[in-house]
Amino acid sequence: MDTHHSAALLDPPGAPTRPAAARVRGAVKRYGRGDTAVTALDHVDLDIPAGRFTAVMGPSGSGKSTLMHCLAGLDTLTAGQVVLGDVDLGSLNDRDLTRVRRERIGFVFQSFNLVPTLTARENIVLPSSLAGRKPDADWFDQVVATVGLGDRLRHRPAELSGGQQQRVAVARALVSRPEVVFADEPTGNLDSRSGTEILEFMAAAVRDIGQTIVMVTHDPAAAAYADSVVFLADGRIVDAIDDPTADTVLDRMKRIGD
Amino acid sequence: MRSLVLHNMWAHKRRALAAGVAVVIGIAFLTATLLLGNAMTRGIDDLFSEGYSGTDVEVRSTDVIASGERDIAATIDESLVAELAAIDGVAAAIPVVEGTAQIVGADGEPIGGNGPPTIGTNWVGMDRNPYVLLDGRPPVGAGEVVIDSGTADAGDLRVGDRTTVRVPAPIDVTVVGVAELRSGEQMGGVTFTWFDTDTAQDLLLGDADALYAVDLQAEPGVGDEELRAAIESSLPSDLEALTRQELIDEEMAAIEADFLGFFTTFLLAFAGVALLVATFSIHNTFAIVVAQRTRETALLRALGASRGQVLAGVGAEALVIGAVAATVGLGAGVGLAIGLNAILTALGAGVPTAGLGMTIGVAVLALAVGVVVTLVAAIAPALRASKVAPIAALRESAIDESGSSTVRAALGTAVTAAGIAGLVFSTDIGSSPLQIAALGGLAVFVGLILLGPVVARVAAAVIGTPIAAVRGQNGVLARRNAMRNPKRTSGTASALMIGTAVVALFASLGTSIKASLGDLVDESFGGDLVISPEGFSGAGLSPAMAADIAEVPGVDAVARLSFAAMLVDGRNDEPLATDFEQLAAVAELDVIEGDLASIGDGGFAIGRDYADDHGLALGDELTAEFLDGSTETLTVGAIFVNDDLMGDNLVDDAVWERHTSTPEDLIVMVDIDDGASLTDVRAEVQTVVDRYGSPSLQDSDEYLEAQGEQIDQMLGLVYGLLALAVVIALVGIANTLSLSIHERTREIGLLRAVGQTRSAVRSTVRWESVIIAVFGTVGGLALGTTICWGLIRAIAATEGFGTFAPSTTTLVVVLAVAIVAGVVAALRPAARAARLDVLDAISTD
Repeated sequence: MDTHHSAALLDPPGAPTRPAAARVRGAVKRYGRGDTAVTALDHVDLDIPAGRFTAVMGPSGSGKSTLMHCLAGLDTLTAGQVVLGDVDLGSLNDRDLTRVRRERIGFVFQSFNLVPTLTARENIVLPSSLAGRKPDADWFDQVVATVGLGDRLRHRPAELSGGQQQRVAVARALVSRPEVVFADEPTGNLDSRSGTEILEFMAAAVRDIGQTIVMVTHDPAAAAYADSVVFLADGRIVDAIDDPTADTVLDRMKRIGD
Repeated sequence: MRSLVLHNMWAHKRRALAAGVAVVIGIAFLTATLLLGNAMTRGIDDLFSEGYSGTDVEVRSTDVIASGERDIAATIDESLVAELAAIDGVAAAIPVVEGTAQIVGADGEPIGGNGPPTIGTNWVGMDRNPYVLLDGRPPVGAGEVVIDSGTADAGDLRVGDRTTVRVPAPIDVTVVGVAELRSGEQMGGVTFTWFDTDTAQDLLLGDADALYAVDLQAEPGVGDEELRAAIESSLPSDLEALTRQELIDEEMAAIEADFLGFFTTFLLAFAGVALLVATFSIHNTFAIVVAQRTRETALLRALGASRGQVLAGVGAEALVIGAVAATVGLGAGVGLAIGLNAILTALGAGVPTAGLGMTIGVAVLALAVGVVVTLVAAIAPALRASKVAPIAALRESAIDESGSSTVRAALGTAVTAAGIAGLVFSTDIGSSPLQIAALGGLAVFVGLILLGPVVARVAAAVIGTPIAAVRGQNGVLARRNAMRNPKRTSGTASALMIGTAVVALFASLGTSIKASLGDLVDESFGGDLVISPEGFSGAGLSPAMAADIAEVPGVDAVARLSFAAMLVDGRNDEPLATDFEQLAAVAELDVIEGDLASIGDGGFAIGRDYADDHGLALGDELTAEFLDGSTETLTVGAIFVNDDLMGDNLVDDAVWERHTSTPEDLIVMVDIDDGASLTDVRAEVQTVVDRYGSPSLQDSDEYLEAQGEQIDQMLGLVYGLLALAVVIALVGIANTLSLSIHERTREIGLLRAVGQTRSAVRSTVRWESVIIAVFGTVGGLALGTTICWGLIRAIAATEGFGTFAPSTTTLVVVLAVAIVAGVVAALRPAARAARLDVLDAISTD
């Protein structure tokens, strides 16, 4: 097993590298107790570089979703540490964690990602309105223009195609200018054309405005849009590559599967 | 967040509507009760104001003894009229005679007497008489009466008609006039018979020089208070003077304590039960909605909504539903009040309602209650919503099929056990078993609500077993569906449980009271026939009648009881007067000391408990005081055990008759000779009774049955309560089923895809509904019957009588109603489930 890549992702002391948007140290997540206990994360160390598009890959049950949930403050670790920017998420109570999610994190989910009773516009500004703020109008227009939803803002989710719904979700994640956007299989429910559009939007957001994005996926073609890919298997980081292509990702995946 | 709440509610209009219906019904009842109560109070106040419009100050005796349903006042001397008229400031002094006179209608039946008084009084020719003659002329001399227009209509009597007035002796009279209040209002149910003053004194007071009161009218410019001050110094100490306002207030307080109080309490109980059931319905709806919205809530939490915001969101939804429903209920309440009043008017009990106007107070109270009830019902679900973890947004949506916590099971068991202990051991702890039993009943109720989710799965399994056996696969599915979410099943059933528990409680109390009465009569009554007045507020029985019955061949003994207004050793224990020798023949009082037959004049007989309570023994002497101002010495001549039927203190009737000028019997009991034919003797007695204005003649079974009829009438009202509770619970069941079906769309689609027919889908939903309904009903019936058992036991311990007799007929009927209600509640949800398009159902997200 090739593990030097994961070591390369760790910040060597004093190395001139990008600052980490989020850091994971010694992360362990166990479900259940005793004989039936399942270890979803087994001492994971990982840095999410700021302003980059990072993909997390792995077979089913590898722990990739758990890792993302813990990174995003949706779930808590059994042991270890997740630091978002300068905040240790493990030290926060529910109220502070809620504030972190609201102000510093954006989400794109695989499905059921919009509130069905709200219009597209209302869905996009939802995190801001939950925080009691007005979204920046210029930024809102820019994001909406970027994802190409201008004429669809008054529609309800049920009146939008799957691709359009997911574009609303991406816009929602971007509009509050979070430090990190987490995307959980964002193209899982989409046809390939819509999926490609979404991935291009996300890549553009990283390239043009320096948005940090972490995406969990099992699709090598999707991972190829990322700047780097981290591979998980059995709760451990087993590999990592920079500037991936669909072929190199597929190649690594096959090796992990072996 | 605000727009989210409103959007959500708009998207789920039907759901919000269903939750609101329960509040609407409850608030409508509350509003109607308050409005009717207010309007009646105002209306009756107006009536009394008008009735006293000819009186500025009334002078009457301060000596009053409560006896039976009435307050008996000492009379005053007629000479006072002239004395008072001579005082400065008095423009006129009017003699007032008042007593009981019940007039017989054209059909031979006495009019009124079933609650409102049947007043006999004297007609006063004066300018300020509040009554005006519509027809005819004032009464002059014996044998002439004026009656009020309401009574004339009720008895189909017209000027010139001859009829009978019972005072209580039957008097032949001619109606010479018909009068009514100047305003034309009727005194709902009260009957008036006016005689001239001399006749009234003779018939109603039995004394040509006595008056009930003297009404004074002030000289112009003299106020009521001023007038009272002017005359007060010349009044003897046993007389008092009351102003018009005081008289009105006194009448209002009396009617408030009696009829109005009962009426509003009863309607408030309706509203209370309705609101309680509504609370459960709303709680259940919110609980389901919150469960179904788990993913949406989790999404909001993931996007940064705080717990407080989620809590506030659900709270705001409850607030809006509560406010809108309460407002609609307020409007519906006005309609209901008008409808109820129309029914009351049709029943002849219509009370003048000075307009059923809405007041700020009623509106504020009804709205506040509606909103608070909805908010309270939504608290627990809202808290649950606020605890949804954000991670739940990423899980596959799971339907909550969890059972209940061990804490709940333990707490529920403990509370129920404590309640049952209270019911079982109420007679062993403390001095007030009834209170302990009532508390125990309340605890069992709360305990069962707590235990509902714990037992729901097993209960649904048991109830569903026969259905599954008979209805095949549909029955099996229905049973599983009812079992899969015990919290929801029990929540839905709880609403029905409350309603049916109330009905079971009252129905069983009713049958138990009837059974107790039966046992009492079997135990204490040894006679053959009973004669009693038809109503309870009309004229009593003429004492002469008992004497005439005694002359009938074959009659062995005639015992009569009458209220004796007197104080014994300063206490008013409302003694009954009787002829002990005769009583001994018809009553089995179980005398343990002394002998009834030999008590004689001046004798007093008391119950064992009465003797113990007052430290009395055989031969003790007591002082009796009477309204005529005299006293007598009574001697305890017998102590007996069975003190429930005839009361616990009896005085010899020779004593009472020396001090009353208006004797009347409450009830007359007849024993016939051994060997005489009951049929023959009864026919003879009937002819005598007919001469005295036809009071009812019954054998002991018929008498019991007639007593039972009053209880049955009360039960009729309780069934109204059932209807209301069932309607609300029905809405709740329908709502729960709709939500469950919405949740199971995919599953139903699958069943349809593999071949379940539309009618089979309907059948499955219908039987699930029936299982829930039967669960709630059986729980309610068991609860109500158990509480009744505990209460009757406690009553038996304190009162010495009480036989528990559950009303099996009612229990069976209620269960049948519940099953039908279950089927009806399932109609719409079942139709919706059956209409689901198979492909849509499967592809739904």
